[in-house]
Amino acid sequence: MKNIVDPVKLCPAEREACPLVEELASLRKEVAHLRKLIRIDALTKLYNFRHFKEALTTEMERTRRTGLPTGLIIADLDHFKSINDTYGHEVGNMALISAATLWMKQIRQLDIACRYGGEEFAIIMPGTRLAMAAQAAERLRSVLANRPLVVDGHQITLTASFGVDCFQSGEAIPADEFVDRADHYLLKAKKSGRNRVCFDDVGMKDRGTELSVDERRLLFTGPYAAKSNDRDNQWQSKRKNKGPNQNVE
Amino acid sequence: MSNNPLTVCIASGKGGVGKTSITVNLAMSLLKEGKRVLIIDGDLGLANVDIFIGLNPKTSIRDVVERGYDPKVSVCFPRDGLGVLPASSGVPEMVSLGLEEQLRLEGYFRELFKSFDVVLIDTAAGIGASVIWFNTFVRSNLIVITPEPTSITDAYALIKVLSKKFNRTHFQIMVNMAENEKECKVVFGQFNKVAESFLGVKLDYIGGLTLDPIVPKSVREQRPFFESAPRAGISAALKKVALKILAIERDLQTKTA
Repeated sequence: MKNIVDPVKLCPAEREACPLVEELASLRKEVAHLRKLIRIDALTKLYNFRHFKEALTTEMERTRRTGLPTGLIIADLDHFKSINDTYGHEVGNMALISAATLWMKQIRQLDIACRYGGEEFAIIMPGTRLAMAAQAAERLRSVLANRPLVVDGHQITLTASFGVDCFQSGEAIPADEFVDRADHYLLKAKKSGRNRVCFDDVGMKDRGTELSVDERRLLFTGPYAAKSNDRDNQWQSKRKNKGPNQNVE
Repeated sequence: MSNNPLTVCIASGKGGVGKTSITVNLAMSLLKEGKRVLIIDGDLGLANVDIFIGLNPKTSIRDVVERGYDPKVSVCFPRDGLGVLPASSGVPEMVSLGLEEQLRLEGYFRELFKSFDVVLIDTAAGIGASVIWFNTFVRSNLIVITPEPTSITDAYALIKVLSKKFNRTHFQIMVNMAENEKECKVVFGQFNKVAESFLGVKLDYIGGLTLDPIVPKSVREQRPFFESAPRAGISAALKKVALKILAIERDLQTKTA
């Protein structure tokens, strides 16, 4: 870190106990302190953990009051320890900066991106449902995987695993539990091969309350069913020459 | 009965099947049976209840929500014992009230309800947030269907959402605009079969109304048919529905007592 400067070189008169140098040193200290206060992570320029906790609590409160859900993405760079061990911490830092920079360009103005831990990131997405948050995570995954780090002509592929979850207004859970839920999907992503996005897609598979084909067919009986079947048959025979249509039975 | 009034939500999914007409005339019928009735126009952005009764209200639910008006002030009394809380016309924002506003309104409503025996809430068409909201805070859900496949499908979809996502288990069904009484029973029969087997809900048939030119005439004249044509067949049929609703409520009260 280049904070320690040769005090003699800094001083315009090249003196040793220079008041200017002392002033500089104390200003630098203050800036570092202020930076903590404004909650930015110095390396990645994303929000830091302290801000993340507060922002998440605020957004969950907003969800409770407005009814709009809050999405949460937790991302973790894959094989980060091995990148550090193989290429050194400087490169490790570059990887973090690269991911942060790429992702900042992808997210929306209102999303809150944070450096959550060493190689962990969290993105809070206000007013966002699970499907959209999951799609956003997939974009982040893809953009990172497609942009390897280049160091001394060396290409280092970077990937990350993602866990996505959504907080709805009916739920009565604290922020920690919400984070744990997203973390659970992150773990799932890691365990099932890394470089992927995991979330609760059961809801999407079972189609919720949408009426099934059977329900729709059985709802009208007698004359109505007979009439509509006839119409269907007539129409189908007219179409015979035009090839199959996937969307009707 | 007045501390725990019967609250009924009239919904259908499909628009134009007669919800408002049924709500207003049912209210008139219940009034005749000696009950104090409150009608809430739950079609918050496109008020219709006031039109059906020939009211020209100066304030509405909008003033309660946006200006903090005392809801009691916004209730009109077009007849003795009949209160009407009108909606606003042409206010899209009312359709998407936030959770907080909804909760506050709910609080006002519960206070208001104490002065009535029966509360009828006429909802908008569709399965939007306000429709769901009204359907989940009343005690009784009345669904109106017509013999048209579109009406049947939409009503079924509404019931499916209310039962699967909001745990409503009992629904009262009315058939409207049928050719005759037989058609009412056939339509209900099939609807009931599908709902019971796929959704496991209990549907009570509470009556049917047939197509009658008296109805559109009464809408144009802005005078409920139950008042202008009390001896018409349709008024008699509606009275049967009102009595059925009251009977079901009485049974419920004696069971819980």
